[in-house]
Amino acid sequence: MTAVIDHPPGARTSRPKNRILGVVRLQFTNTQTFVWVPLLILVAAWLITLIIHWIIASAGVDSQMYSGGSQTPLWYFAVVGAQAVNLTFYFSQAMSLTRREFCLGSLTAAAISAAGISAVFVVLGLIEQATDGYGLGGYFAYLPWVWEHGPLGAGFVYFVLTMLCFVLGFWFAIFYKRAGALILTISLTVIALALLAGAAWINVNRAWPEVWAAIVGAQAIGLALWALGLTAVFALGSYLTLRRLTT
Amino acid sequence: MNSVVEVRRLTKTYKTTTALDDVSLSIDEDSIYGLLGRNGAGKTTLMSILTAQNFATSGDVEVFGEDPYENARVLNRMCFVRESQKYPDDSNARHALTNARLFFPHWDQDFADQLVSDFDLPLKTPIKKLSRGQQSAVGVIIGLASRAEITFFDEPYLGFDAVARQTFYDRLIADYAEHPRTIVLSSHLIDEVADLIEKVIVIDHGRIIMDETTEEVRSRAVNVVGDADAINRLVAGREVIHRESLGRVASVTMLGHLSNADRELIDDANLDLTPVSLQQLVVRSTQTDLAESSAAETDSRSLQS
Repeated sequence: MTAVIDHPPGARTSRPKNRILGVVRLQFTNTQTFVWVPLLILVAAWLITLIIHWIIASAGVDSQMYSGGSQTPLWYFAVVGAQAVNLTFYFSQAMSLTRREFCLGSLTAAAISAAGISAVFVVLGLIEQATDGYGLGGYFAYLPWVWEHGPLGAGFVYFVLTMLCFVLGFWFAIFYKRAGALILTISLTVIALALLAGAAWINVNRAWPEVWAAIVGAQAIGLALWALGLTAVFALGSYLTLRRLTT
Repeated sequence: MNSVVEVRRLTKTYKTTTALDDVSLSIDEDSIYGLLGRNGAGKTTLMSILTAQNFATSGDVEVFGEDPYENARVLNRMCFVRESQKYPDDSNARHALTNARLFFPHWDQDFADQLVSDFDLPLKTPIKKLSRGQQSAVGVIIGLASRAEITFFDEPYLGFDAVARQTFYDRLIADYAEHPRTIVLSSHLIDEVADLIEKVIVIDHGRIIMDETTEEVRSRAVNVVGDADAINRLVAGREVIHRESLGRVASVTMLGHLSNADRELIDDANLDLTPVSLQQLVVRSTQTDLAESSAAETDSRSLQS
């Protein structure tokens, strides 16, 4: 007697999974770059500012003190952006990912990291708001101009500026890999000259007061929306540059 | 047999060099290919264009009937193991294998675990601190355990000792028997992989100069061992591509097939026929630049016989 056993076919079918979320995990392999160093920079800047404020306060100065120290992690995100390309792009190619998946996944990873650091920024600001600057009148995160629209507005501004820095670093790293050091340096020089030309134009037209008035007049949220648009443009630029990057 | 890769008139030029020169070929499903050639012949360029990591200057590439560029559907089914793969800075072998598991749909974790112990790979040491051979093991394990429908191994065993190489060959052939797929293995160690590969593609100066089954290539020549005088009579007028002798005994590889008269001579003189070294044949075919004119004559004559 023979028995026929039917084995279920397709034992080797592929499991559907989200490859872009996979890239996020891939980026977070570099936990140090994406989590610990930005957090360390923020905490260190906060601690240093706090000590300075305490020294000033203990010297008998009784006015409110505002520090720009909370911006330091923003700049580091340009480094994070560059590292996201340098450390992970080649491996992402070995994982048979498309450049598009790599780009979207890296931006998502950056957004998660930026949201985390923005949350820390907001929490610090709320503490400062509640304790009148740690009882010293010293403010690190709670800057009135940024907090005009409350904690969510402040978090949004911080988040967008962090993303803008990330995307700039990301794009420059890709551009460097494609074009090399010489063309990158020339391009940066051209950008610097263009900015300088703008400044000279403002100077010749004696328009500085209007420019400052416009910047102060535009609320932080308004500027953040501009920065958001710029971030989107740079992200698109990054992808278009990445499309032709070879390993 | 179904072909999984079709390449038509593929050319890749860099500023001053031509890496691939009008290459056309097809790669069949479920076979092991040896992609052979000298350094700089164009092997890596070909494989990186097929996996959409590099771009053609002109010509068409189709993998599973589609253009692989930015095509997740196609890339998903391929795995390319590079000679010196770069890994994220902080990552160790465990990270790399965990990521690979995420991206390769046919990944077999048990097989990967077994390979880790076969190659004695430390999982927690940062990859950049591993020895050259251990780094290569990471790539080899990803390539094998991913069980991608097309797997490219580009000189995968840099820094491997003979034992590790043999382990690689053994695991590859055993797993291939259970899970047939297309494997393209680029190698300098031609005789080591000769028993593994079913088809040979030789590329030289960006051109395909040989694209045949291993058996066909081997049948182009014969290797005879025995009395030196008898062998000299046998090979008279033919092209000899390799000769070794020790006293009165010689071992000679010559091009061409054996006629009935040849076989009688071999029987009478008690000569032995032994397997031809694939390496000798490939080396000869990539050296034709050196001896093009003289080889051309003998070649045509010996192939007629």
